[in-house]
Amino acid sequence: MSAPDSLAVLVSRAQEGEQDAWNAIVERFLPLVGAITRQHRLSPSDGDDVGQTVWLRLVEHLGDLLEPAALPGWIRTTARRECLRLLAARGRTRAVDPQAGGLDAVTDDLTDAELLAAERRQALRDALAELPEGRRELLLLLLVDPPLAYEEISRRLGMPIGSIGPTRARAFAQLRETDALRNLGPLSLGGAP
Amino acid sequence: MTSWDDDIDAMTDDELLAELRAAVAEAEQVTDRQREAARAAFTWRTVDAELAELLHDSALESAAVRGDDAARTLTFASGPLTLEVEIDGDTVMGQVVGAAAETVLMQRSIADDFPLPVDPSGFFRIKGVAPGPVRFVVQAGDWTLTSPWVAI
Repeated sequence: MSAPDSLAVLVSRAQEGEQDAWNAIVERFLPLVGAITRQHRLSPSDGDDVGQTVWLRLVEHLGDLLEPAALPGWIRTTARRECLRLLAARGRTRAVDPQAGGLDAVTDDLTDAELLAAERRQALRDALAELPEGRRELLLLLLVDPPLAYEEISRRLGMPIGSIGPTRARAFAQLRETDALRNLGPLSLGGAP
Repeated sequence: MTSWDDDIDAMTDDELLAELRAAVAEAEQVTDRQREAARAAFTWRTVDAELAELLHDSALESAAVRGDDAARTLTFASGPLTLEVEIDGDTVMGQVVGAAAETVLMQRSIADDFPLPVDPSGFFRIKGVAPGPVRFVVQAGDWTLTSPWVAI
């Protein structure tokens, strides 16, 4: 697997009408959209409807998207907003103590912390995709739960057992230096889509 | 608030591995149905479409203003045309204001366009509308109004 096309390339190709580029964008951000709809505790079918609405809105918006780097924030903001809209349309804003700052404020506060975590997981998936295949494969085998024995990892990768520890350390060092983790600035949760 | 950079620098490899496990698990929760629907959204791509502005959605108001039992109302505007829509359970009704509407289409993401009967005063009403993304396309003389997609 080669390094993934950059988001800028994918967005530009999707703007030209290339379905493959659109599919790649969707593949990259489906987990984020799914995480946000689950956090809002929508029913599974409402969650799917919100997800589908986010993609339809992105199709509408694609032509105006001048800065591809803004896309993750746009998706996150739109997904959250559409979740809150549908929850409100269903009359399902959760009842909380009004002293605590009002319904909508509390819902948003809860969501910000959860969104931050979802954003980190998105960055980690992107970072993993940036690694060379061998190191990515090693990390994927290391995170299998329950853990695989080093003998098994050695057998699957054709790597001496004694190399696994040092390779693991180098893979993590490289992961920490990926663009995906280095370029992730402080979250901006504002901004209307 | 600490930045993400500070966070990963402070994390051990084992802690990073645990986060990585959660990240990969999250990707595995994506269903084929979600993937197919998301890919299919691209078939709605149009190069020249100008979308109506959403002037109002009662679901974007605070719960105190909205009241939880009220029907949802949405208002869209484009040029001289205004489309008001009310959604009450599975009933959708609305009115086109500003010019005499010839056709009102209800579009669903995964079904054929559904033409709505519209009376001379621009009023329409339909029952049995299933939940899901919807948008409206109004034709009135030289004017067209296409609403953004909205989940109902």
